[in-house]
Amino acid sequence: MYRNREEVSLLRASLEGETEAWGEIVSRYKDAVFGLCLGFLRNRADAEDIAQDAFIRAYNNLRRYKLEKKFSTWIFTIASNLCRNRLRYRKNHPVAEMPLHLSGGQDPAKVIATDDRHARVRDNLNRLPYGYRAPLVLRFYNDLSYREIADILSVPEGTVKTRIHRGKTMLKQLMEEGA
Amino acid sequence: MTNHDDFDLLLRDALRTEVSDASSSLVGLEERVVAQLEDREPRRGLLGWLRQMLAPTRSTRWAQAGMLVGTAAIFLTIGLLIPGGLSGGAHAPRLTLSPAMAARGEQEVLFVLPALNATHVAVVGDFNAWEEMPLADEDNDGIWTASLPLEPGRYEYAFVIDGKWWGQDPLADEYVRSYGQYSSVRYIGGGGDGV
Repeated sequence: MYRNREEVSLLRASLEGETEAWGEIVSRYKDAVFGLCLGFLRNRADAEDIAQDAFIRAYNNLRRYKLEKKFSTWIFTIASNLCRNRLRYRKNHPVAEMPLHLSGGQDPAKVIATDDRHARVRDNLNRLPYGYRAPLVLRFYNDLSYREIADILSVPEGTVKTRIHRGKTMLKQLMEEGA
Repeated sequence: MTNHDDFDLLLRDALRTEVSDASSSLVGLEERVVAQLEDREPRRGLLGWLRQMLAPTRSTRWAQAGMLVGTAAIFLTIGLLIPGGLSGGAHAPRLTLSPAMAARGEQEVLFVLPALNATHVAVVGDFNAWEEMPLADEDNDGIWTASLPLEPGRYEYAFVIDGKWWGQDPLADEYVRSYGQYSSVRYIGGGGDGV
């Protein structure tokens, strides 16, 4: 019943307490939000938790969202701030982590053999400081403009451009060092 | 990987395949979210809070109660010793209520945290999409304050003290723990436990 409805109509219904309408919103945005969280956090379990938490918190605070603004920017802002908080917490409560590209239940040898370059990008992304990793993920996974990234991360647009450029340079260097 | 476009493509593909490999994490996410929303614990009133505090099982509740009483004593002492007490006055960062805000039922809510040796204290929460809003301590007495206009409702929040998470505000109405991390909760307006 909700599948074919416009986003604004779903958001209005959600505001009136129709949780099923919100379920449809989650369905439409879950890949983007989970991908953002996975890219930022580099940890699958944390990304699952934070993606779910972001949708719960967004629903609970939906009245603060302005319908004339882009919903994706709002939900990405919540998710990215929750990720930052999570990273802050993890800094003080470190856990042993599996390399992310080996955590999907796949044969490690197969992963490395078939997609070594992707695995190296991901590993080295993990070594970038958060301030560089986050804009790269928003740009190259979420396909956002510099302006949108600036809004989500609360930094000037010029800073976003600089960090993306420098982040890519650092990533390339790391990959060349490891080659 | 000879030019930027190739590298951009590699980066894009690497991130997308990573999400695709982890796609089993997304199965049923919408159902879990909807179930959690429909299954929310009803809001507790003062009696409910007292009942929980008096429940014999959890020693942590008593620790929380002790912390509340201790903090209340500290604040009372500060209030007596410092002219103007914790009203914040000109020192607290504050967003003044406009007539439109007042018409929406917004109230000015004071966030206060004693953090004697801190150099930077911020509050994050539902009211600001969990983005840091700094507290101020202009007279360097170690009491950090900020004032925010908030509509009636339930707000989860936490403080960030020099980059470290502090989820248990002694002045909160209750605490919640999600994914290993405490947050504080305040109910604004409408007969809640707190403000």
